[in-house]
Amino acid sequence: MIASLAHPSWPGRLGRTAQRWALAWWRIVYLGAVVLVLVLSPSSYGRGLRGPLARHVVLNTAPILLGFTALAALVSLVLTRIVVVTALSYGLSRYALEMVVRVLVLELIPLTAALFVALRCTIPNGVQLVRLRDAGRLDALRRSGTDPLRAQVLPRVVAGVYASFTLAALSCVVALAMAYLGVYGFSLAGLPAYTRMFGQVFSPSITLVFVLKTLFSSLAVALIPMASALHAPREGPAGSELGGLARMFAVLLLIEIASLMGNYYR
Amino acid sequence: MSNEDLFEEPLRPVAHLRAKAAALLLFTLALVAGSVLYLLYARGVFEPTQALVLTADDSEGVAVGMDMTFSGFPIGRVRRIELAPEGNVRILIDVARRDAHWLRESSVFTLVRGIVGGTTIKAYSGMLADPPLPDGAVRPVLRGDATAEIPQLMATARELLGNLAALTAQDGSVAATAANAQALTERLKGPGGALGVLMGNEQDARKILATLDRTNALLARIDGMAAKADTQVFGPQGVLPGVQALLADTRASLRKVDAVLAEAQAIGANAREATTDLGALRAEVEGNLRKVDALLDDLNRKWPFARDPRDTELKLP
Repeated sequence: MIASLAHPSWPGRLGRTAQRWALAWWRIVYLGAVVLVLVLSPSSYGRGLRGPLARHVVLNTAPILLGFTALAALVSLVLTRIVVVTALSYGLSRYALEMVVRVLVLELIPLTAALFVALRCTIPNGVQLVRLRDAGRLDALRRSGTDPLRAQVLPRVVAGVYASFTLAALSCVVALAMAYLGVYGFSLAGLPAYTRMFGQVFSPSITLVFVLKTLFSSLAVALIPMASALHAPREGPAGSELGGLARMFAVLLLIEIASLMGNYYR
Repeated sequence: MSNEDLFEEPLRPVAHLRAKAAALLLFTLALVAGSVLYLLYARGVFEPTQALVLTADDSEGVAVGMDMTFSGFPIGRVRRIELAPEGNVRILIDVARRDAHWLRESSVFTLVRGIVGGTTIKAYSGMLADPPLPDGAVRPVLRGDATAEIPQLMATARELLGNLAALTAQDGSVAATAANAQALTERLKGPGGALGVLMGNEQDARKILATLDRTNALLARIDGMAAKADTQVFGPQGVLPGVQALLADTRASLRKVDAVLAEAQAIGANAREATTDLGALRAEVEGNLRKVDALLDDLNRKWPFARDPRDTELKLP
């Protein structure tokens, strides 16, 4: 009897795991919905909340902006050179630039920006939130009549989304410029052809998929660490944080697969 | 713990927070707006265009957004592909107005599908002096498909090889021609030679030879006749010396006629002079007559003897 309590049978274990799994996903979806409502309600931008929001946005974006942009520029330049030289040796240089733009701007850069923001901002923010909760500040906020979601979670989520979006946009622009420089050098002669190629790559459907992918990736990296932090067991094993990370990567993978299907599976 | 403290977080304070946040927001907005504007420009939204409709029997390889090139330069892009009620394909192309002058009434459009790479639509304008292509013009597109021609090429090559095989067969035309050529060379080497080949048999060839001999004899006789005619015409007793003497006589007679004519001319000149003198003489006689007439009138007036004026009147004879 005692043994069966300590080691429950596998259908029971399976049921509890499925329950935990479903609950975790439900919390993410619920938090997303709540944050969306808070973002859209004007009272979230009141006098007392504007300061923390601005501070989170600045502190999450500004320090990593330059570093990530430089990294993206370097990677773009190296990849462009590799692809162009390889394409030239196969006599396919006509397609090299289009391939660089597709691979870098459409696929690699938004994903890298989201992962960078997750590692540098939103996961540390989640840890911070766990510490605040453990220190009892969230309960104190609740007792004082302030919604801790609005005071502590919303600025972090908005800052994460904003950082991810800005990083993706800036590094895409830098990657486009680097691809141009890598192929044509410091000359404006190739600009009409480059612009035309850019217009051909970014057809309306591909642009829509690109924007949606960037948006959902930034939402995933901003929301999931917060959801994991809010509902992490106080004295539980460290596996729950890793579970949140795994969920975030799974969502990013799903978004990437969906975008690839949207772009190329017709 | 005050309400302010509750909002305090373990974050370091940021100097000029509002300005930095506003600058960051503006930067992001500018980035996104610039990207959107560039994308719209690259998609040709701000460019005035004119429509061109190409009709084809197959739209394979044609995609929305692909370029139409002129001399390798993109001047238009495919906007839509639709199926016409007649069952063929209508490819709607937007041609940039600044490049539209390259397209003329006589322009030709091709749809080429290469073995490597995508399909391309190309425009060719042979005569740039023709009137420009109007907006919304409908033109057929010529398909140039490198892979589609391979089966046709194979069929033609097979037919050609079949014909060649039939020609070079054991009982074929080439073998028969070679046999004939061999027989011909045998006959050329034979007694009749080329003449025998031409005439077909030996009797005719002999006739030709006999004809040649007789022609030779005839030529010899004509030669003799010509020599005789030469003697009769040009010899010392021939016709030509007589004619020459006759001509000399004629020349002498003509000289005499010339002298006679000169004399006649002199006579004529004298007669002309005489007639000139006669004119003067006549004028003089007329003058004298007038004077006598006047004198008689004067006498009649001074001496009126006769009763009858008719009898008293002196009359000139």
